[in-house]
Amino acid sequence: MGPLSREAWAQRLAAFRASPSAFMADPEGEDLGRDLLSDLRNEKLSEQTKVSLLVLSLEYPVQLWPDAPAAEVAATSLLDTLVLLPPRLSALRRLLLLAATTALVAGGALGPTSGASCRLLPLLLGLASGSDLGPGFGPTSEQRSLQATACECLRELESCKPGLLGGALGLLRGLLGQAGPVQPFSLLLALALRNTLLVQSRAGAGLRGLLMAGISPTRGGPWDWTLVEEGDAHLQPQAPSWPAAEEGEHGLEAQEPSPEEARELRAAVAQLLDTTYLLTPVAQAQLLWLLGWALRGLQGQPPALFKPQLVRLLGTAQLTLLHAVLALKAAFGEALFTAQDEALLLRRLTLAAQHPALPLPTHLFYLHCLLSFPENWPLGPEGEEAAPLLLRPQLCHGLLPSLLHDPMALLARLHLLCLLCAEDEEEEEKGLVQSPRGSLEELMAGLQQRAALEGGPRALATLCFQASYLVARCLAGQPTVLTPLIHGLAQLYRARPMLAPHFVDLLDQVGPELGEPLRALLRQEVVSRPGRDEALRWHLQMLAKVADGSAQSATLSFLQAAAAHCTAWDLQQALLRVCRALLQVGGGDGLADLLQALARQLEDPDGRDHARLYYILLAHLAGPKLGVALAPSLTAPALASSLVAENQGFAAALMVQEAPAPIRLSVGSREIKGPLPVLQLQVEALESIYSLELRFRVEGQIYAPLDPVHMPCLCPGRPAHPLLLPLQPRRPAPARLDVHALYTVPTGLTCHAHLPPLSVNFSDLFLPFPHPPEGTGPGFFEELWHSCLPEGAESRVWCPLGPQGLEPLVSHHLEPFVMVAQPPTIYCVAIRLPPNSRLLLRLEAAQGDGASVALRTDDWAVLPLAGDYLRGLSAAV
Amino acid sequence: MAQRAVWLISHEPRTALCGTVRFSRGWPGDSGCLRYPTVEKRARVFNGASYVSIPEDGPFLKALLFELRLLDDDKDFVESRDSCSRINKTSIYGLPIGGEELWPVVAFLKSGMIYACVPLVEQTLSPRPPLISISGISQGFELLFGIQDFLYSGQKNDTELSIKLSQLPDLLLQACPFGTILDANLQNSLDNIHFASVTQPQKQPAWKAGTYKGKPQVSISITEKVKSMQYDKQDIADTWQVVGTVTCKCDLEGIMPNVTISLSLPTNGSPLQDVLVHPCVTSLDSAILTSSSIDAMDDSAFSGPYKFPFTPPLESFNLCYYTSQVPVPPILGFYQVKEEEIQLRITVNLKLHESVKNNFEFCEAHIPFYNRGPVTHLEYKVSFGQLEVFREKSLLVWIIGQKFPKSMEISLSGTVTFGARSHEKQPFDPICIGGTAYLKLHFRILDYTLTGCYADQHSVQVFASGKPKISAHRKLISSDYYIWNSKAPAPVTYG
Repeated sequence: MGPLSREAWAQRLAAFRASPSAFMADPEGEDLGRDLLSDLRNEKLSEQTKVSLLVLSLEYPVQLWPDAPAAEVAATSLLDTLVLLPPRLSALRRLLLLAATTALVAGGALGPTSGASCRLLPLLLGLASGSDLGPGFGPTSEQRSLQATACECLRELESCKPGLLGGALGLLRGLLGQAGPVQPFSLLLALALRNTLLVQSRAGAGLRGLLMAGISPTRGGPWDWTLVEEGDAHLQPQAPSWPAAEEGEHGLEAQEPSPEEARELRAAVAQLLDTTYLLTPVAQAQLLWLLGWALRGLQGQPPALFKPQLVRLLGTAQLTLLHAVLALKAAFGEALFTAQDEALLLRRLTLAAQHPALPLPTHLFYLHCLLSFPENWPLGPEGEEAAPLLLRPQLCHGLLPSLLHDPMALLARLHLLCLLCAEDEEEEEKGLVQSPRGSLEELMAGLQQRAALEGGPRALATLCFQASYLVARCLAGQPTVLTPLIHGLAQLYRARPMLAPHFVDLLDQVGPELGEPLRALLRQEVVSRPGRDEALRWHLQMLAKVADGSAQSATLSFLQAAAAHCTAWDLQQALLRVCRALLQVGGGDGLADLLQALARQLEDPDGRDHARLYYILLAHLAGPKLGVALAPSLTAPALASSLVAENQGFAAALMVQEAPAPIRLSVGSREIKGPLPVLQLQVEALESIYSLELRFRVEGQIYAPLDPVHMPCLCPGRPAHPLLLPLQPRRPAPARLDVHALYTVPTGLTCHAHLPPLSVNFSDLFLPFPHPPEGTGPGFFEELWHSCLPEGAESRVWCPLGPQGLEPLVSHHLEPFVMVAQPPTIYCVAIRLPPNSRLLLRLEAAQGDGASVALRTDDWAVLPLAGDYLRGLSAAV
Repeated sequence: MAQRAVWLISHEPRTALCGTVRFSRGWPGDSGCLRYPTVEKRARVFNGASYVSIPEDGPFLKALLFELRLLDDDKDFVESRDSCSRINKTSIYGLPIGGEELWPVVAFLKSGMIYACVPLVEQTLSPRPPLISISGISQGFELLFGIQDFLYSGQKNDTELSIKLSQLPDLLLQACPFGTILDANLQNSLDNIHFASVTQPQKQPAWKAGTYKGKPQVSISITEKVKSMQYDKQDIADTWQVVGTVTCKCDLEGIMPNVTISLSLPTNGSPLQDVLVHPCVTSLDSAILTSSSIDAMDDSAFSGPYKFPFTPPLESFNLCYYTSQVPVPPILGFYQVKEEEIQLRITVNLKLHESVKNNFEFCEAHIPFYNRGPVTHLEYKVSFGQLEVFREKSLLVWIIGQKFPKSMEISLSGTVTFGARSHEKQPFDPICIGGTAYLKLHFRILDYTLTGCYADQHSVQVFASGKPKISAHRKLISSDYYIWNSKAPAPVTYG
């Protein structure tokens, strides 16, 4: 694109400023930075247009040259333009210096490898020191202005790269003593000194050498980057944060400069302080913050250096100066301010916080400073606003709040008053003309009266509630203050029920000291109404907040009366919200009647449905569960719509929640009782659960369906009785039981968990035959043995045995079923397998290490299971 | 210490946005705040994870106006604005913008302009450091006050305001090139631009752009404002206070001419207290520094002469402010309003104290009736002066004139009847509820101070070449001079 005319540039810049992001998104936007740089050298463009271009680059360098290479190119181009300017007076020189500095810093290009940086820095230092740089740098009349600008640029570079000017300290110090503008050099030297103190210990450079060195800027060779901390991570605050908050975080403490260094440093600081008077007030303040922090904790640097300045500073009305004095106070404490000085400072601050000649924002800031005053010996916890010890109530007389104050001033002064009331309980007794508490009561009454004003702006109401909140927070433990406040608020509600949202908000924010009695009074206030007030919606909103178990009959009769007037949907919903609140605290008989009536009577079907639902819930759920069912869900995120939120609460409470297994089930030892095999289950609770129902499903339906098992409650660590689970096999076979648990957790939610399956083994189905009469055993066994064939099956298995032989094996596993025994070698075992099979074993210990087992059954399907069982037994041996 | 951005916004109630960003660089359609990218770069490092970038003007304006309660709509309760726990006790705000909170935003509204800036905080913002520990806060305030002073000092009409507004960006480029403010006195920066070509000698104060050439003269003017709250009640003490401002203009040759001005009091004059001085004052007597209205008065109170040695800046400046507790209010009054069925019966008595100079530039008593309809009928009797009625505004103005009569005492009595109230026309007042009502005195007396304070021309010492012409002026002005209806509750102020 060729050079643009003035008008074209005007349009282009206007479009850019209207929305920089939108402009740069446009394809044309990419060229803006380049065009700008080239047109700065366009001789046809007026200087005024070029000024506009440069000003734009000062504000939006990141958009124009987004990365370091682009910024480097831009800075180089700007410096070239500067050199090429004709030698007459020009407004562009100053701006080009500012723009090159801004581009390098903002683009992150400043560094030893950047060619532009290495050109800019000596140039700036040369300009600052007043060296003759040739006619290209303008007429001598412009030199002074450029000198100051160069100092500003250097200061900004040093701010962003601490230590950059470490090597130039001596030069700067020399310049401050000679001709040249005082303020730019003072500020630059103070900053460079502070930063050098910070980094010199790490870099190992001698401070004294730096302060004394008098290098020549233009002929000094390459720039010294040794003190510059690489990267932004070491960027240090120029002004101290409050020392209490960060003691020991920074490296200035515990430094011990040598006596020579200390002397030289003291001389430099004194030199700076001596000329502070020539600086503008804001610059004086900057210098004091910088030096205050530089010398804090530095040995051999008595803060008394600052003392001669203090009286002058304390007398001024200037916000920055008094703030800087407070910073010195915080930095040095008793070392600079004796107890008397502290008292004087506090008095000046108190005075300034109310001086009629100062504007409101200043008053408010000073009030903040009073409550955060850096005391020599603070008593209270750090970081909390408190009235300083020396600030007696007499001193604060002029700082008491009045209805005539601006809201912010009123709240700030009220806070102070509350702090005084909290401190001076004992002084109340002395019968002062206007005790702090008396003033407080009067003020609150006035605020309430104003908030009650019909048609008054909401801001007045908001102020009254903010004040109430402040009082409740500061003076929660003082019933003498809270009681009139609470009554006043109840009266306010009576006068202006439309403030209900403010009351609800207040009740949400304050503690029980104010909240509980206020709730009771407001409830009383609402339910004593006839119920057909025009403010019914507000009453219902209020009641939904304050209704609880007490005085329910009054509440219910109010609601009954109100129901007749709730014709609109929103009123009905408001009414139902109150019912819901009552349900949450347990409901009651009257409530059930009311809900039933509402379910019939309300015009809106949605209202009727809700009423019916509430009624059903009330009738079917026990108290605690009801509370949980209606309480807002803790897991669901807060949603804007109350309806959705309400539904979510229900859903969570009424639906069964999936949960991990709360118990561990295992099959216990066998116990043979009754006609059916019974599984004995051991239950171990992992958490407290109630109303446990265990449901079992048999895979493959080889047993009859199993009844669920119920347990009222289980607690971890408390032993539970074993559960007996009778099995009704349809076939004599082992099976797997699928187990589900349904139970309630203490929060009232119903949960469902899938437990690991249980295995029913073949041996779990064994039942004994009835014992034959004494002596007839062998005969009976033989009868059984023979009856198995021919339908049944027969087999023979070899069982390896341990050294103890057959006896332990039988007594361990088959004891209940032994019908004939000839220990230790022969055992006849008869097993009944429900529903109607039998398994007979004849075990004979053979010679050596085994036993031969003959087995017969009347059900051939049992044979492989029996074989497996026997092999399992022998494997266990 | 630096500022990340500065805004100037004109507040325009009852427009769509309720405000417009007013910084302008002279291009059509060009608007925006002043942003400082190098400071922003540091903010990103210092604030770390808690860094919130400076938003574009639109969202900023909306959030700021909402926070300052300047949007017209406050019909409904909005928790983020009206909740009782959202208490702001300073002019420093956190603005929720795009899910993040921009903090600290220094902002205040003055004469229809909103002044705002965001100071750099040189540490993490979470947890928020106490305001007192942030040096940029007071620097930001000073910059905004400086802009305000520049725009409104000596400004008489909208044209002048627009001219000054158009000068502002260039001035700020001079006074605050990298976001760190060099001089809050923008007039001085303007002079600096003009003086730039003059070679300045050594040790020129930064707050003095050049040197004066011409006839030497020193002008001192003392303006006292008296405010009062009078209740005429047993249990509430009346209050009154004098606030003095001493303004100087020193046209003297030389770089650092030294001047000492002494303020004196006549015998039995009321001591000056709470003295705040201009930063150019070089030293201050400790008796002046410690004399304060906070303490109970006693006879040993320092009563001058009050010496102020200083090196004057070029422009007119406020050398010092003071307060004083005079023994009696200049005009003592009582005001009674009785509600009688459909009308109000009012009685006013005013008495000028004999010690006060009975020669006013003007003296008026304004008697407003708030939260009522227009005045429909009035019957009255005044012992002196005339009464003007502004029926629609429900206001009576009693013009007392230049002198009180010989008796020094005047009275007004009458009955006022009001019509039906229409909310648009009649003034609303949150204080004057029920019977609570006041009358407000407006007066000015030239060549007089209530404390008796004067600048003795012979005691003005000037250490500069040539003998300057010294002129001194004094005046007393009423300010917030209220007399409350003694038959109803009234708001009490302290101090």
